[in-house]
Amino acid sequence: MTPPPQRPASATSPWSWARVVYAVLALTAFCFSGAMADWLDERNAGGWLAAPLALARGVDAASAAVGVKGVGEGLRKWFARAVGESDT
Amino acid sequence: MLFPTIDFALFFAFSFALVWGLNSYNTLKKVVLLALSLAFYASWNWRFLLLLLASGAISYFVGLYVDAGARRPFRRLALGLGVALDLGILGYFKYLDFFIAQVLTLAHALGLNPSIDFVNVTLPVAISFLTFHAISYIVDVYRGRLASSRSPLDIVLYISFFPHLVAGPIVRAHEFLPQLASPRRAGDFSFSENMLLILGGLFKKMVVANYLAVRFVDPVFTDPSQFSRFDLIVAVYAYAIQIYADFSAYTDIAIGVAALLGYRFPQNFNQPYRALGIGDFWRRWHMTLSNWLRDYLYVPLGGNRHGAFATARNLMLTMLLGGLWHGANWTFLIWGAMHGGALVVDHAWRRSAAFARFGAGPIARIVDWAVTFHFVCFAWLFFRAPSLDAATQFLAGVWSDNGAPNTMPMIVLPLIACGALTQMVPPQTRGAIGAVLDNRGPLLQTAFGFALLYIIVVMSPSASAPFIYFQF
Repeated sequence: MTPPPQRPASATSPWSWARVVYAVLALTAFCFSGAMADWLDERNAGGWLAAPLALARGVDAASAAVGVKGVGEGLRKWFARAVGESDT
Repeated sequence: MLFPTIDFALFFAFSFALVWGLNSYNTLKKVVLLALSLAFYASWNWRFLLLLLASGAISYFVGLYVDAGARRPFRRLALGLGVALDLGILGYFKYLDFFIAQVLTLAHALGLNPSIDFVNVTLPVAISFLTFHAISYIVDVYRGRLASSRSPLDIVLYISFFPHLVAGPIVRAHEFLPQLASPRRAGDFSFSENMLLILGGLFKKMVVANYLAVRFVDPVFTDPSQFSRFDLIVAVYAYAIQIYADFSAYTDIAIGVAALLGYRFPQNFNQPYRALGIGDFWRRWHMTLSNWLRDYLYVPLGGNRHGAFATARNLMLTMLLGGLWHGANWTFLIWGAMHGGALVVDHAWRRSAAFARFGAGPIARIVDWAVTFHFVCFAWLFFRAPSLDAATQFLAGVWSDNGAPNTMPMIVLPLIACGALTQMVPPQTRGAIGAVLDNRGPLLQTAFGFALLYIIVVMSPSASAPFIYFQF
């Protein structure tokens, strides 16, 4: 936990940390966009998540259009088969 | 809201910006952290928020009264009352039905038929960890290790701070309360090291622990009679790796999340399966619980200050109660008794002339490691078995092979190896990689973090097992 000495300013700024955290989460959400849309869909019984759900579906469509979603899903299926998972 | 979920990812993303955005306004930041922690707890059952607040209130008022600097009369009595209240809440929710069941069993054995009803209460999430934090505060204040806090906000936040709330690590009041006194600086922490800690935790939980649980350990322990002797034996070792990967993952993520919010938690695991001796194991496994039991139970009982017999008795009592803390079940008591007995033997052996003569050689060290590791794995069998009957059935299956074919999935042995490897990597390695990444800037940090998270998501199974320590 001890920080190394003489680190660049970007390493000690929480806003620099935030850029990395949000970028990692956003990239992962884009690559596995179906999970985010499903998650919102499950919680949208009252219809109050309609706007974020529409956005998530748009992201999902974009991810599928550029082929990123397919790669992620394909790799998951390939790994599941490789380790003997039969239900995926 | 468990850590490796979309719910928590969104919750953390929201909390992260909010907490650092308020870093210059310390009181407001603490109010927001408390609100976030209460929301986190309410995501399971909002009705138990009252319990959380009651525990905070007890700690606050008892702390003010028993403060070592205040020299008030009946301090010891007030402390005893505070501890009894905390333990009373824990006992009511966690042990009352178990106690009633034992009374009824005994009564039936004596031919009596008393009319006692079970209370059938829902066990509140995190009640054990909450109690440990509350007791730690009032006892440390009584002992003069820290001054009582004048801020109820600080006390309730200390008890309910969401990264440690559900399954630890157990953060002592003297470690945490001073951190609330002034705004934190991001420069006090290594971002990359803590990002790696969180991602490593996600890998251990989502890949190693989940696969082992779902594919092999859970089915074997659910019905051992359907599995071969080989499967049963491997399942015990697989569970040893699963519980390490599961629990250390939770605390790694908790430590990393707390650090990214600007708060330091103590280490909870230090390569436990490398231990040489049971005493050494407990200095490496769930270290914050071991320290808590030592400081608030073993030492007050007399520790090792009153001769060999009293030391053995205190070790046994500490481990029996430590076992019972995990749950109201005879299996946990047996697990605690096994570790207590092993600690007594370990304690005596390391003080013997034979150990002084033979104990330090390389072969003795290998034997020491092998005996410790296999004993710990054997004891996990009782910890994992849902009941004493199930544990007996499991052992019977190991003793007399039922002729069932071996069904262990191919993935189990690589997972055991992978889980063992994760605990062989020294913690300094993560610090060194973190230091390199910190110096390379956000782009490489993002690429590295994203690549690791991508791999984890690709490898994680579709089904997931709950955190083991979630139930305690």
